Amino acid sequence: MPFTAKSGKFSASINTLTVGTGDKAITLGGENVLPFYTFDAPIENAPKVGIEITDGGMAEEPECVQKYYEGCETVADMAKKAATFEGVDFLSLRLEGGDPNGENKPTEELIQIVKDVAAVVDLPLVICGCKNVEKDAELLSKAAEALDGKNAVMLAAKEENYKTVGAAAGLAYKQVVGAESADDINLAKQLNVLMTQLGVDAKAIVMNVGTAAAGYGFEYVVSTMDRIKAAALSQGDATLQMPIITPVASETWGVKEAVASEEDMPEWGPAEERGIDMEVETAVADLASGANAVILKHPESVATVSKLIKALV
Amino acid sequence: MYKVTFKFENGDDVEAFAASGENLLEVARKTNVAIDAPCSGNAACGKCRVQLVGGELESEKTVHITEEEYAQGWRLSCVSKVIADVEVLVPDIASAYKSRMKVADLDSAKEIEIFEKTKADIEAAGISFKNDLEVVRVTMAPPSLDDTMPDIERVTWAVEDACGVERVKIPFSVMKKMAETLRTYNFDVQCVIRRAENKVEVLDICAPDQEVKVCGLAVDIGTTSVAALVINMLDGSILAKASTGNGQIRYGADVINRIIESLKPGGKKKLQDAVVKETLNPLIMQMCKAARIKPGMIYRICVAGNTTMNHLLMGVDADPVRMEPYIPTFFETSCVHAQDLDIKTFPHARVIVAPNIGSYVGGDITAGTFASCIWNRPEMSLFIDLGTNGELVFGNEEFMMSCACSAGPAFEGGDISCGMRATDGAIEACVIDKETMEPTLSIIGDEGQKAVGVCGSGIIDLISELFRCGIINPKGKFIREGRRIRYDKYGMGSYVLVFKEDAASVKDVEINEVDIDNFMRAKGAIFSAIRVMLNSLDFTVDMIDDVYVAGGIGSGINMENAVNIGMFPDIDLEKFHYIGNSSLSGAYTMLLSSEAEAKVSEISHNMTYLELSNEPTYMDEFVACCFLPHTDATLFPSLTFK
Repeated sequence: MPFTAKSGKFSASINTLTVGTGDKAITLGGENVLPFYTFDAPIENAPKVGIEITDGGMAEEPECVQKYYEGCETVADMAKKAATFEGVDFLSLRLEGGDPNGENKPTEELIQIVKDVAAVVDLPLVICGCKNVEKDAELLSKAAEALDGKNAVMLAAKEENYKTVGAAAGLAYKQVVGAESADDINLAKQLNVLMTQLGVDAKAIVMNVGTAAAGYGFEYVVSTMDRIKAAALSQGDATLQMPIITPVASETWGVKEAVASEEDMPEWGPAEERGIDMEVETAVADLASGANAVILKHPESVATVSKLIKALV
Repeated sequence: MYKVTFKFENGDDVEAFAASGENLLEVARKTNVAIDAPCSGNAACGKCRVQLVGGELESEKTVHITEEEYAQGWRLSCVSKVIADVEVLVPDIASAYKSRMKVADLDSAKEIEIFEKTKADIEAAGISFKNDLEVVRVTMAPPSLDDTMPDIERVTWAVEDACGVERVKIPFSVMKKMAETLRTYNFDVQCVIRRAENKVEVLDICAPDQEVKVCGLAVDIGTTSVAALVINMLDGSILAKASTGNGQIRYGADVINRIIESLKPGGKKKLQDAVVKETLNPLIMQMCKAARIKPGMIYRICVAGNTTMNHLLMGVDADPVRMEPYIPTFFETSCVHAQDLDIKTFPHARVIVAPNIGSYVGGDITAGTFASCIWNRPEMSLFIDLGTNGELVFGNEEFMMSCACSAGPAFEGGDISCGMRATDGAIEACVIDKETMEPTLSIIGDEGQKAVGVCGSGIIDLISELFRCGIINPKGKFIREGRRIRYDKYGMGSYVLVFKEDAASVKDVEINEVDIDNFMRAKGAIFSAIRVMLNSLDFTVDMIDDVYVAGGIGSGINMENAVNIGMFPDIDLEKFHYIGNSSLSGAYTMLLSSEAEAKVSEISHNMTYLELSNEPTYMDEFVACCFLPHTDATLFPSLTFK
């Protein structure tokens, strides 16, 4: 008797969500199978890879990344350059300098950078905040306004500031709202419930359910993502069917494996290679656990992960 | 050394001396001034506020005190250092816990109804209400030159005859008064005796025509509150009932903080004194006065309390309760007497302690389970005790399983800025108008009583109403604007129930997001414990036939609201029964009936204990429960507002 494989596809599926406009727009989600289970049912929208730059420009980049942006003077220049790298689906601009505990750059200055970048690239945009909930409420609201009509992702609204960010990004300017929670399926769900109760369209939400560098409590990330996908697909939980976007670069480029110099750690091998390895390993693990998009920093990592996705989907 | 003067709104000043730089809360503790400090002085709860009325204090500013209040002299005592002579006013709201003893008015049937019902239920279950105390009248031939038997033998023989036993024990206290009593009444006396199998102990000896009162004392020692009854042991009638705060409260709001406090030098004695000398003995005095009896007429005592409270009452080391593998000194005790613990009753009165089941399921639960009668029914019942620790028992006549979860003191008003015990001035119920957001309150106390704070049942109503009216979101954060809603400079919202002009408190009675958060955790702990326990038995909530809710949370807990906020499972509201302080009613039955005492011991041996911290799903369930009503809304299908 011939072997007939039974399809493991689910009757529920992840929401389909478009980011950006025009030819370069990307579509996230839509699958009704576990990550990369193309043998159960086709995955129409392969996971996407974004590249991250920050408002700090060249100065803030690791040395090994700087060389790729040679000749760039402004953040907008970098954005233009980044858009040309192999495998880049979208651009992520992190407004790190807004942090009141750091540089505390004024909102207007940062929003100008957002506008400058938006003017020179036609890639879909993801605007990441500075991780301070109060400042982010302001930054992301203004960014949503500045990018009116661009269908960008505001990453992210948290429980503490979802009202402001959700209202500006989701209700007033119809951007995609990122919903960020800390490695807990219930907290992720609670934030989605709050956001939809606020009036934000569930189909315009993308989740960041928590992230870490591989080896840094990463099993929590995996377990959370696994269970969210299981609830979304097998239980048809509509409050967890949002696609997942995972910032990777901001985690991996801070750990010692990526930043320790070769003088300090000769036995660890070349620093650049290590940084790329950390980023690629983390990103791949995120994708395998269910991320629909990852955000990376090193052009080499972007190319590698993008190639892997193409090979699998 | 500086002089510290504590002033009270009602009461005499207390003076103490403190070294420079000494912490004000510590000084208060040493001086036995009760300042409510549920967080043990970590500046976390904001409850230990005092008002500086003279002299100087060095105090840090905290989020708990507004600029305006700071200017008025309000300080948190836990972050205040003595740097000069100082006078502080300890406000009523803080000392309310301890100082407000409440002697119940037994003229209203409501107070004793619950005990009558428990007694009737337990009698129906086949337990007879007989105890070991009796009064016998004995007459003996007066001695003469021909009959030279000493008094003590004369009494012994007479009692042996009257009771049909072979051994009679006469303690020293009786021997001392024997000669005089016998001769005054011409060798015709009444004896209060305690019977144990074939022997009898003579507890007291008195006049033949005297109306002898043989009384008993039932006590529920809660972490936050202590409640007690004085009863007539011969007919079971209740002579007095009273409640007060547990004097140990100043050593921390929960059992863990108390245990840690007891480990300090002299700590065991300090905690024992706080509950016996400062709490129980004054309570006994008050009740005896109300019942017109002498404390010495209390011949039998039954105490129900959680394992830690039992240990601290006995002055026994409670540290093992806290440390893995959580093994306490005792589950049951057999020979403890009032004098061993310095309880001011008849010195040799036996103290019966309701047996513990585990370190976190104590005698209050065995007594409560007994009182609920779930051990005698075929229906599947869930017993919930809402105390500082939430305990659950689930089962029927064939099996019972228990578990404990740390709910925190929120149900008794702890951890809530406007929280208080269910006593005069507490808001026990509330309804909010959805349009105007104006509340309608019901306040415990006489007509015209102004609000001081909110007790557990009031908080349940309040949160349910705030949620129903869309004033707070499912996370407990404020989302509407209005006259009664305020946001501080950190963006934290609060709802004013009663403005200070209309309150009997020094400040507005208001509930803020931190309070709501604390309460959400308490209700989350209860509901997640219910879910995990039922899951572990492969039961679902619709298999529950009855839910018995106990605890001193307030007389009229609104079950519908408790379901609405996701504290109790969404099942038919008629299945819920509020049975009051079941620990006390259980202690009452054990006090009155030796059979009940034995049965409770049997129940305690037959109950299985489930350690929730070993259940991998508990934490997950708990986080899911910290939402209104629950992260999984499908668990609450009958909820109409979401």
